[in-house]
Amino acid sequence: MAAIFPALVLLLWETLSRAGVLSEDGFSRPSHWAPALVKALGDGTLLTQTLETFGAAFQAVLIASILGIALGAVLGLFRPLERAAQLTVDALRPIPSVALIPLSLLVFGFSREMSAAVAAFACFWPILIVTTASVRGVDPRLLEVGRMLGFSSGKIILKLALPAALPGILVGVRVAAGIAIVVTVTTEIVTNPRGLGHGMTMAAQGLQPDLVWATLIWIGIVGWLVNWGLLRIK
Amino acid sequence: MLEVKNLDVAFGGSEVLRDLSFTVAEHEFVCLVGPSGCGKTTLLRVLAGLTAPTSGQVRFHGQTIAIVFQDYGRALLPWRTVSGNVALALEARGIPGAEHAGRVLPLLQKLNLGDHADKFPLQLSGGMQQRLQIARCLAQEPQVLLMDEPFGSLDAITRQELQDEVARLARDERRTVVFVTHDLEEAIYLGDRVIALAANPGRIAEIVDIELARPRSQLATREDPRFLQYRHRLFKHLAH
Repeated sequence: MAAIFPALVLLLWETLSRAGVLSEDGFSRPSHWAPALVKALGDGTLLTQTLETFGAAFQAVLIASILGIALGAVLGLFRPLERAAQLTVDALRPIPSVALIPLSLLVFGFSREMSAAVAAFACFWPILIVTTASVRGVDPRLLEVGRMLGFSSGKIILKLALPAALPGILVGVRVAAGIAIVVTVTTEIVTNPRGLGHGMTMAAQGLQPDLVWATLIWIGIVGWLVNWGLLRIK
Repeated sequence: MLEVKNLDVAFGGSEVLRDLSFTVAEHEFVCLVGPSGCGKTTLLRVLAGLTAPTSGQVRFHGQTIAIVFQDYGRALLPWRTVSGNVALALEARGIPGAEHAGRVLPLLQKLNLGDHADKFPLQLSGGMQQRLQIARCLAQEPQVLLMDEPFGSLDAITRQELQDEVARLARDERRTVVFVTHDLEEAIYLGDRVIALAANPGRIAEIVDIELARPRSQLATREDPRFLQYRHRLFKHLAH
């Protein structure tokens, strides 16, 4: 049922393309995508690029989660610290992550880390903000239970605050996962000669619109699978 | 065992407790009773160390203190099972995980939760959740057990059951208990001593020794003429 709408769009597209209404320079026919996808999958280029892009995005989410959750938990529990950090957060957060591409290139060179670092910066903020808010929202009674049992602050965070805040934190991580893919592909299109972004740039320059479209569809499929996997974990 | 001396507590200029002094002896069951707003809960939180007094002293002689909160639903960890909630207290005491099962199960059995070890708190009734919180506090092996209106939100029958269980636990395990309630009969039924507080600001109105035989019974004790005399004597402190 949910497939009806995309199927109709593709059918219309194919018809308009065959009738010569849509220019084949940009709007490659849907019926050409599958062969291009199969070919790119068959010779391994697409898989290599996928591992590259999603590997960098995964690294980014991992780094951003570790830093964002740790800092967010501390800021969420200690109000004065949160107020002290507010200015720094508000000053750093509006920096567009892609504006860090030149800097990251200087630091990491053309590498997976270069993309991952830029994406991690972008992912860090939503995770930090959601974690801070979720931990602040934890029932103070639970924290008192931890104090009465004699836990240290660190143990209270690990055993009580973070598990209680987990549903909220996972929302932040899911949002960050989407951002990570967007930013990683962007770095690959702009400079980093690797991954799916670079693959699409090359395909466009080689006048292969079918491959560009096939790659886009492929990113959609893999992204959907990743999201489905994350939901399953939850 | 526990000594409170000239205790004053004020929040933002408004006086909550004024010049409270009393002691609690070892193995004694003391009930704090008073009208709402007399600072009973604040006093218990000061004893627990969760709220700092404005002036005065609370002295306890190096013992562990556990507190049973009234709102059991907020004090339990919903993501942990019944045994996991009790094990939390063992983790805090640094007891190796291998010993947990052997220590948790007897406690659960003692509180009639033996068949529910693998359930989650939200699958239990209110009375069972409160029993679970008590089990977790006992796992701390505290010398002093503080209880803040622990049965306040339970139905009358569950309440009586739990009163008898707590009385039995306190006796068998020789715990010192400070029990806050606004229910005068509950205070007399459970206590070795009842401290009645007056409100605005909270201060001690009267301290009465309860000389009713133990073990007490819901029928005989409550029909005992002395029980009624205690009730009569303390009742005026609860009227507004």
